[in-house]
Amino acid sequence: VSVLEMGRIVNFLYVFVASIFGYFTMATLTRQDLNFGQVVADILCEFLEVAIHLILYVRDVYPSGIFQKRKKYNVPVQMSCHPDLNQYIQDTLHCVKPLIEKNEAEKVVVVIMDKEHRPVERFVFEISQPPLLSISSETLLSHVEQLLRAIILKISVCDAVLDNNPPGCTFTVLVHTREAATRNMEKVQVIKDFPWIVADEQEVHMEEAKLIPLKTMTSDILKMQLYVEEKTQKT
Amino acid sequence: MSRDGWRKKASEDDGWGGRGGYMAAKISKLEEQFQKDAPREKQKDGMSSCIFSGVAIYVNGYTDPSADELRRLMMLHGGQFHLYYTRSKTTHIIATNLPNRKIQELKGEKVVRPEWITDSIKAGRQLSYVPYQLYTKQKGLNFTSVCARGKQDPSSSHEPSKPDLNHPESDSIKPQNGSCSIISEEDAERPRVNGIHDGDDDDYDNACALLPRGSQDTLLTNGYVHPVNGALKPQDSFAELQSLISTASPAKQPGLHNMQKDLHPKPTFKPGTSAAPQKGNLHDQKRVRLNGSYHMTPNSSTLADSSNQPGRSGQGAEAGIISEFFSHSRLHHISTWRNEFSEYVNSLQSRSRAAGGAVFSGKEKLKKLKANCSLMAAPQVRQSCILHVDMDCFFVSVGIRHRPDLKGKPVAVTSNRGPGRVAQRPGANPQLEFQYYQRKQNQYRKEKTDGDLEMTPSPQCDEVPSNGVDLDLAALSMAEIASCSYEARQADVRNGMFFGRAKQLCPDLQSVPYDFQAYKEVALSMYETLASYTHNIEALSCDEALVDATKLLVELGVTPDDLARAIREDIKEKTGCSASVGMSSNILLARMATRKAKPNGQYFLRSEEVDDFIRDQPVSSLPGVGRSMSSKLTSLGVSTCGDLQQLSISRLQREFGPRTGQTLFRFCRGLDDRPVRSEKERKSVSAEMNYNIRFTQVEEAESFLTNLSMEVQKRMEGAGLRGRRITLKVMMRKPGAPVEPAKYGGHGICDNFARSVLLAQPTDSGQLIAAEAIKLFYAMKLDVKDMRGVGLQVQQLEGSYADPSGQGPSRGRSIKDLLLAKQPAHSPRKDPLAQGQSSVNRTEVTPPSSPPSTSSDPMPGTSKGGLHHPHTPNHVRTYLNVSIEVPSPSQVDQSVLEALPVDIRKQVEQSWRHREEQPSTSSHLSTPPRTSSSLPPGPSLGTLVLQLPDQPGQPCTTGIILELPDFSQVDPEVFAALPRELQEELCSAYRNKGNAQAHAQAQVEQKNPFPQLKQPAVGKLKRRYKKRNASPAKKGPSPLKKLFPGNSPAKSSPSKTLPLPLKHFGGKKTENVQCPSSPSIDVPETLSKLNPRPVPTLAGAYEFSDIRTLLREWVTTISEPMEEDILQVVKYCTELVEDKDLEKLYLVIKYMKRLMQQSSESVWSMAFDFVLDNVQVVVQQTYGSTLKIT
Repeated sequence: VSVLEMGRIVNFLYVFVASIFGYFTMATLTRQDLNFGQVVADILCEFLEVAIHLILYVRDVYPSGIFQKRKKYNVPVQMSCHPDLNQYIQDTLHCVKPLIEKNEAEKVVVVIMDKEHRPVERFVFEISQPPLLSISSETLLSHVEQLLRAIILKISVCDAVLDNNPPGCTFTVLVHTREAATRNMEKVQVIKDFPWIVADEQEVHMEEAKLIPLKTMTSDILKMQLYVEEKTQKT
Repeated sequence: MSRDGWRKKASEDDGWGGRGGYMAAKISKLEEQFQKDAPREKQKDGMSSCIFSGVAIYVNGYTDPSADELRRLMMLHGGQFHLYYTRSKTTHIIATNLPNRKIQELKGEKVVRPEWITDSIKAGRQLSYVPYQLYTKQKGLNFTSVCARGKQDPSSSHEPSKPDLNHPESDSIKPQNGSCSIISEEDAERPRVNGIHDGDDDDYDNACALLPRGSQDTLLTNGYVHPVNGALKPQDSFAELQSLISTASPAKQPGLHNMQKDLHPKPTFKPGTSAAPQKGNLHDQKRVRLNGSYHMTPNSSTLADSSNQPGRSGQGAEAGIISEFFSHSRLHHISTWRNEFSEYVNSLQSRSRAAGGAVFSGKEKLKKLKANCSLMAAPQVRQSCILHVDMDCFFVSVGIRHRPDLKGKPVAVTSNRGPGRVAQRPGANPQLEFQYYQRKQNQYRKEKTDGDLEMTPSPQCDEVPSNGVDLDLAALSMAEIASCSYEARQADVRNGMFFGRAKQLCPDLQSVPYDFQAYKEVALSMYETLASYTHNIEALSCDEALVDATKLLVELGVTPDDLARAIREDIKEKTGCSASVGMSSNILLARMATRKAKPNGQYFLRSEEVDDFIRDQPVSSLPGVGRSMSSKLTSLGVSTCGDLQQLSISRLQREFGPRTGQTLFRFCRGLDDRPVRSEKERKSVSAEMNYNIRFTQVEEAESFLTNLSMEVQKRMEGAGLRGRRITLKVMMRKPGAPVEPAKYGGHGICDNFARSVLLAQPTDSGQLIAAEAIKLFYAMKLDVKDMRGVGLQVQQLEGSYADPSGQGPSRGRSIKDLLLAKQPAHSPRKDPLAQGQSSVNRTEVTPPSSPPSTSSDPMPGTSKGGLHHPHTPNHVRTYLNVSIEVPSPSQVDQSVLEALPVDIRKQVEQSWRHREEQPSTSSHLSTPPRTSSSLPPGPSLGTLVLQLPDQPGQPCTTGIILELPDFSQVDPEVFAALPRELQEELCSAYRNKGNAQAHAQAQVEQKNPFPQLKQPAVGKLKRRYKKRNASPAKKGPSPLKKLFPGNSPAKSSPSKTLPLPLKHFGGKKTENVQCPSSPSIDVPETLSKLNPRPVPTLAGAYEFSDIRTLLREWVTTISEPMEEDILQVVKYCTELVEDKDLEKLYLVIKYMKRLMQQSSESVWSMAFDFVLDNVQVVVQQTYGSTLKIT
């Protein structure tokens, strides 16, 4: 069952409600035409943006001077104020969003590479959406927010379990897609001149990597875990 | 909506400062009227007295005799009649039925039944009012008043139903010349426009009120209402009333809102009675409520008053604004007259059908005439003949029919009677607005590519510049001219022009006020006249009708000209106004012929002349060719129908779309096959307000939409329709346009936005419409501050529910319908056959049997709207919040399913099929359906199954899941009104709720069974373990294995997923397994088995804390782990990897590492290494790297 089906089901519920229980209020169902895939994608992309910024800060990819302290999910986070970097992150996520909407993105990976472009750390956001979305109430979203906050907090302390990165690191974002999603992506470029390319094997797989799970969240609309793959010998 | 949204900063120069305020002017005008009317009334009636001198009554709500009649009686007998309640001056309040709330408000006032007046008149003296007081006997009164009405009804039942336009007592129309209800003061002009469109107006291109249409004789044709002022007065004086009594009765408004609709719109005051005190009051009047909004008058700084404002906002006040606006807007009424007249014609027809043939007096007369004069036998007219009857300058000729002095002079009907000047308000930039419209016009002209300069611009193009291009335009009155006489038209004055501008063009222009009562009368007599000839009438507007005279002419053998002449003479004689008649073979040509016939003439367009005739007609005279289309046509080089004929149909269709193109193609050749339809099918129901829309907050817009939806609901109920498509139209201030438009309260230059949504089910529920509208509104993402107009339209209409008798098809027949059907059937739909008289008294007739809630219905309805549905369902709406899933097939009542509309039924069935295909995709939140039967206390008893909102983790069965409100919140009345089956369902649902809660508690208790089940013999166990220490790994089912689970209750109780020990124990029948809690633990087992992707559990433990406890027990109580248990742990860890819960795996591993490496026994260390190695292999396989264990 894909996420898209959600809309149909909700619509259907609505119809059913309207017909049989026409005298009840529709308060809980006025979002009938809301595509929950979209909602999930929105939530997730927002989170990923925050997370990427924070990772870049925590892992010293960029000098800390370009970061500013902000508040998100009710916790302090660090956000870059470099416009180009911000744009890059935004563009990236803009392209990721349709994939998430269709539940075609399996992993979003922030790869931190050393000077020679060898990955030293991979922050892997492994996303799986439950086959059948169940919509309960507003509490759901606040619950999700709590879970996302936990991940953010975990990121901000992940340097405790990770070795320091060598100087001069860069980063890139990889997306692991399901099935034939890549083909569609090539066909439809969400942002012009912002194409995706198939990642090098080198970037995808690290030798002698160690895996450090950071956080897993399970909610009704989304299941996600974040782990870090770290090169054993960074230098 | 919040008041603030409506409150506007009134400027110093709002034009009323020097006059003691607008209201003062108005009230004095009302007094004049009463003064004028009273002697006339007395003369007419002959009997008059002074028994009520000193008495000033105010009629609140429906009374019998009506407020109008009471007013007349008071005139006759020396009393006063206050249209607006004033605590200081009104001595008695007349009412037959007041809601409790109002009674409380009116404590200390003399609230008296109307019988007091009638009895006093009978007795010839003023009786004591005490026995007639309302308070003590309110209940009984309900009944008497109903009886009284019952008596009255038969007397009028033989009358055909007359269109009931303003108020219930339409049969008591009295001739009244000077009693106009509209007042305009000379120097204090405040133009107010309400661009209300008629509900059935499909034609929305004329939202721009400033631009009148080309056709000058069809002011109200096409449902286009010229936005004229005047209809809004009652609110103004009402506001004054509010401000006067604000301190005394803060919560008065809602009641008044309700009651005002019953008042006859003739605000009149007895002369000389209370002018002085009024003036005094008005001078310090602080707030004038204008058209539903509040304006702060300049001197509004008085603390006392402003401090009162917050407290005054009775909650019903806002809700009533829209319906009040519409119910008081007489222009709105006029625009709805077409429906009324259609209905009138309908009822005439059906009556004649029922009576087996009607008597047509006019027809008979004509017949006789023909016989007497032995007219030349006219050639039999074989082809069809349509007569288009149109009154000449309707408003004007009605306005001056009793004023011969104005005949032949340029006269305009408008609200303004002064020199047409008004001061400019700050923030307004009329110049800019004008430039905008001019630019727009120029744009159209520039589009002309051919450069055909000789082309005369279409009249529409002229219209705009003529509407007041002047340097001091700002100072000109902006009151539109609703209609002007032919003399005025000669001076280039046009309908819809601003009065100030017209006055400049034609300094002699006389203005005549509105006289809605007279319009109605005249219109009615026109229709009566027409109906005396034939019933094949299509009402087009209040002054315009189509008559299909084909049969009539054949029957009478007269020529169309004779017929037209007879009709015109009749109308002239009966109404004193002239009518023009155009005749031809179809509607289009008849209407065109009328143009030629005007003024006061007739023209028969013969079929042989059609070609020549139509060639010279301007395209703009074709129906459907408005401003924009004629501009487009002009750009194509087309100005006359002859030009249009040159264009091919394909060209037209390319330019205008297939349908319009074809219509144009046909029309310009004089072809029109539209029949004369006495009953027009409505295509849409809508309500729109683009006057004085100034929101400051989103909430105001929201509540405005809600109220507008209620208005739509009312209209739909009135028309007995329901619709599926809801369109929200919003006028937004154009970026760059002045914030304050030139026209006071107007919308200025706007962009129009519209969005629509298609509902699954036709509805007439205001709440549903409101919900959709608000959603649309948010989807449009508009800045509320720039909103200038809001309209709601419902299309794709269907008739309302099946007829009460229930014989109709049960399309869309829902439980709501069943509910409604169960209600006392006091609201039979308009049945023209049986209810000829219904429109006379089908107003707030509350049957004695109806519950009290209906009579105190909070929704003020226009009287014409007639019957409201009982609102019990609405109450339910507010009480129950539902989210519903499809029940399984077995749980659905087949009959209910069959009653569902086909498409919905299909969807239900489809979903069942769908479910069968994937039987158990349910998430961990709910038990798969099959388990539900195995749950002994499971909440699966009824169709209604609860999902407890606070315990999302608890299993619950599928089925309709209702989020039931607290039982205490259920309105017992509503509950009682539900059908029996539903009541039972709800009852069982509530029972289940209790069960489920208990169940949930039980589950919580099971969750952590460790504390209770303490290890009884650790020492013994250790001993036994050591004995077998020699070869633990080799032995398959080692004794330890047997012992371990048995002796460690930590594992035994939730260990159903540990198959090995369980199996083992099953064989050995250890009594430990049969611990008391075991039966209920079956649940998680079945759950996890059936779940497609079970949550990984270690010995039934799921939460990390439980796992940790389990592991601790394991490591601390046993000195050497068993291979099977280790494998169990490995299996669990593998499952965690597969479940993508690396975090938990990581925690588990780290915890084990700590536990086991700390353990004194090296086997534990080895065990850990074993586990870790295995896990790392799995992780390596899955993720390509291994866990970093530090």
